[in-house]
This record gives sequence, structure tokens and C-alpha cells, in this order.
Amino acid sequence: MYYLRISDDPIDVKKLYAKLVAPQYGGIDMFVGTIRQWTGDIETERIVYSAYHPMAERQLEKLAAPIEQQGARVVIAHRTGELQLTEAAVFVGVAAAHRAQAFEWCQYLIDTLKKEVPIWKQEFDTDKVRWGE
Amino acid sequence: MKVTVKLFAVLKEHLGPSVTIDLPATLSQGQLKEAVVKLDPTLEATLVNCRVAVDQEFVNEDVLNLSDDSEVALIPPVSGG
Repeated sequence: MYYLRISDDPIDVKKLYAKLVAPQYGGIDMFVGTIRQWTGDIETERIVYSAYHPMAERQLEKLAAPIEQQGARVVIAHRTGELQLTEAAVFVGVAAAHRAQAFEWCQYLIDTLKKEVPIWKQEFDTDKVRWGE
Repeated sequence: MKVTVKLFAVLKEHLGPSVTIDLPATLSQGQLKEAVVKLDPTLEATLVNCRVAVDQEFVNEDVLNLSDDSEVALIPPVSGG
């Protein structure tokens, strides 16, 4: 069963990885998105994430359910609140029988999350504050 | 009827977490956005790019059919991840 969580709690990669380990899986792919300092000439100091609860969780369920129906396991965690440089903002993990599926579904999930899940970032950059787009 | 519209991100920063406005039960997405623009004309460009959610589902059709207990939200371009 998938595990989906959007919260202020720090992302514990080791604990989330443990949720993906099971005998039926031979490939685990994980993506961790972290707070980057530089975007071109713009220097970021911190980012504040907010979400529309529980629509955001429902959107994650819609993404995860069809993949789980194909026999994989999905683990997604997204931070809200204030994050500093290098902190993990998002974790997407897929465990599948073989690596090709794990890679494909992990990429699909992070790409689709960025378009379809109502979460927003407010970037505090050295020159000004920006809403992410 | 009175409709409470939930707001997020830049919309929330300007107008607070929600606004309550008088709207017909059936209206277009454009009409909903126009009603919010009236509250803050500086949000016009932002609202063009917003999606509408009713009862926590994105609405792809242009026409919204609302009832008294509908949960209506304007969703600015998302930026998670």
C-alpha cells in the first residue's frame, strides 16, 4: 500500500526507503528534491512551502493508485513550512519488480506532482521574494 | 448565492485565505475570476493562469455548477517539488 505524506516534519530518507523494501521488488528508484542555492544569477536563502490540504493528498493518491495497481509500491513525502538550503523538500520512491519500471514511474510521479498537486513555494531570494511558477 | 472561495499562494497573500462573494449557481470560470479581480485588480494576470477546483477536484469544463455546500478554490500555478 502506498505511503503519502505532506507535512512540516523533516523528510527521513532512511525511514522512507525502508517502506519500499520487500521481497517482491528487485528495483527501487528514489528521487529527493533539495533546496538549491543558485538559479542562474538568483541566490535563494530559504523556501517556504504551503499546500491545499487535503486536496494535495487526494491528488497524490490519484497518481499513486494506478501505479500500485500494476504491482509497484509508491512512497511520496513533501515538506511544508520553512526549509533551509540543502534540506529535502520532496521524496518520491518507487519499488518495482525490475529497474526499468522503477525509473519510469519515479520520473512520471515527480514530473506529474510538479504540475498537478496543489503545493506552492515562496522563494526568499537575496534580491526579493518570489512565488514559484 | 454567497460562495466562499478558497485562495492560496499569491492570491492568499493579497486577499487572505478565502473571500465570500455573491455568485450565480451556474457560471463560467471567467466569471468567477472576474469577481475576484474586482476585489484586487492587480491580480488579473495571476488569475488568468489559475485553475479552479470544486470539492477538491480540478474542473476542466468552463462551466461551474455550484451548490450551497460546494468547496470552491482558485489554484495558482503549482510549484511543489
